[in-house]
Amino acid sequence: MILKFKNYIRVPLLINTPYILSSQVTKTTNQNEVNLLDFIQKYASIGTWEFDLELETLDWSSETKKIHEVPIDFTPNVESGISFYKTGYSRDTISTLFTKCISNHEDFDVELQIVTPTNKDKWIRAIGMPIIKNNVCIKVQGLFQDIDKKTKDTKALAYKEQQLRKTFENTLVGMAIVDLNGNWLDVNKSLCKTLGYSKDQLSTMTVKTITHPEDIHIGQKAMIEMMRGQREYYETEKRYISKTGKNIWAQLFTSIIRDDSGEPLHYVAQINDLTKIKETSKKVDQLLATTEDQNKRLLNFAHIVSHNLRSHYGNLDMLLDIVKMDLPETTDNEIFPLIGLAVSHLGETVENLNEVAAINIQKDLKTEPLNLLENFNRAHSSIAALIIDSKTTVSINIDPNILVKAVPAYLDSILLNFLTNAIKYKKPNEPAKIEINTNIVNDFVVLEIKDHGQGIDLEKYGEKLFGMYKTFHKHDDSRGLGLFITKNQVEAIGGKIEVESKVNEGTTFYIYLKKHE
Amino acid sequence: MSKIDVACIIDDDPIFIFGAKRMMELSNFCKSFMVFKNGQEAINQLKPIMLNGKDIPDIILLDINMPIMDGWEFLDEFIKIEAHKSITIYIVSSSIDPVDLNRAKRYKNISNYIIKPISIETLKGILEEELQE
Repeated sequence: MILKFKNYIRVPLLINTPYILSSQVTKTTNQNEVNLLDFIQKYASIGTWEFDLELETLDWSSETKKIHEVPIDFTPNVESGISFYKTGYSRDTISTLFTKCISNHEDFDVELQIVTPTNKDKWIRAIGMPIIKNNVCIKVQGLFQDIDKKTKDTKALAYKEQQLRKTFENTLVGMAIVDLNGNWLDVNKSLCKTLGYSKDQLSTMTVKTITHPEDIHIGQKAMIEMMRGQREYYETEKRYISKTGKNIWAQLFTSIIRDDSGEPLHYVAQINDLTKIKETSKKVDQLLATTEDQNKRLLNFAHIVSHNLRSHYGNLDMLLDIVKMDLPETTDNEIFPLIGLAVSHLGETVENLNEVAAINIQKDLKTEPLNLLENFNRAHSSIAALIIDSKTTVSINIDPNILVKAVPAYLDSILLNFLTNAIKYKKPNEPAKIEINTNIVNDFVVLEIKDHGQGIDLEKYGEKLFGMYKTFHKHDDSRGLGLFITKNQVEAIGGKIEVESKVNEGTTFYIYLKKHE
Repeated sequence: MSKIDVACIIDDDPIFIFGAKRMMELSNFCKSFMVFKNGQEAINQLKPIMLNGKDIPDIILLDINMPIMDGWEFLDEFIKIEAHKSITIYIVSSSIDPVDLNRAKRYKNISNYIIKPISIETLKGILEEELQE
């Protein structure tokens, strides 16, 4: 039996077992051969079997029994042997092959599944070969190999490969494998969709063919560097031309794949379609251009206001003056004073608009360190008459060392505006009482101006408080533009205004001005 | 009583010219006027007058925004002419653009920048200044 087996040793199955191929095998003693065969059976998970047609006996080697997971004293026969095969394909196949082996003298080598006594499916390889004597099959001999792990590994690997394949195929990023000459080896669906070509069409093209002519040079240096091993990947943006002739903006990541010895094999490219993003950013650019254009036109408009509107007002005002002197008799009626009033309002409006436009147009305002107390006192004394007349009390509590960063004219106007407002909107029956305090908050000086006046209903008017031409009190002098201009001036020098107010209790304005360090 | 013999107005706005002339008459500002509709016209006519030395204006009220030749261009040309008499130039403009105001300061011939509208008071102020000199 052992000698017989020598014939089988060279079946491809065993080629990988170095001991078998060694010429020593034939030179060794019988005992050694027995040991070697045991060794092979054990480590290669290969058992032997033999069916004697005359005696109708089936012999399994110990390894064959082990693979079947039956005890060493188990005695198999043809029926029980075949019954181990999984019903269906495996059992049908082995029955057919076994029968053909005996009747047609055909060898077999097949991978099938058996079911062990513990009900476990197991992949095995069964090899059979008839022994012919006088043209009659007298024995069938064979090998039995446990290939369960190998088969399962192969299947698992196949599954993994399929997963990878599906990932490559179905990912939303365009992906391609490109050979070193720039031929498309493989492309995925997303890339086909982006470019408009089918996989087959692309396989006959190179990367160059569909690259925008102006962008062909892009990445060439990097490609060479990758080939030389000086670089592993590169990233760029370039244009392709789709099948329909459309420009496709793409973000391209290319990396090089090398074999174990470091020789470049091919490139892997990821191609993200940026066309939509580019189109959107184009729209944004256009919008920006439009906005800039509109801004320019606004400046122009401010200029027109400054020049033309003012000159018309000037003429009207001058003509009225002349009429008063030249034709005094025509002014002695109800209408003339109203014309005068209308013209003077027109002048005021134009002036206010000019002021607002001037604040918003000016760039790079030259601020300088200004002593807040000194400036406040100046504003205070410039309206001394008003303060005395209205019996207003002003308590000033400003640190004399505080310097703010401001444009002198703006600071004057801001202080004056808040001061006159506080007097203007006093309670009707009592003189105004104003408290001035300062606080430092981060890099701001917060000037707190608290009146004890009428107050403003912030819920109702809060949003309009700093708007253009909004007034909240019936007052002869309410132009409604003061706070708007003041706010513009404060913001132009980097500050802000906050307000707290309660009707009949008074208003506190917090004016944040940049502190001079 | 008036010391101003000739006042010159350079302005493209007929309403302003009418008003300014009338106000000058009413305030007894000057004896005679010279009126030009733009800088070019003014230069063309003033040049021979300046060279002759006859009827040279005492003061010029100069507008900035004018067609053909504006106030600045006029000034650049005018200062090249050799003058035999000191002429006071007032810029009279409706522009309150600080750029214009600052530009006016760069010309030493310019006495003042008057923002339109002008009034009798403005004219009286100019007259007083002239009389002081």
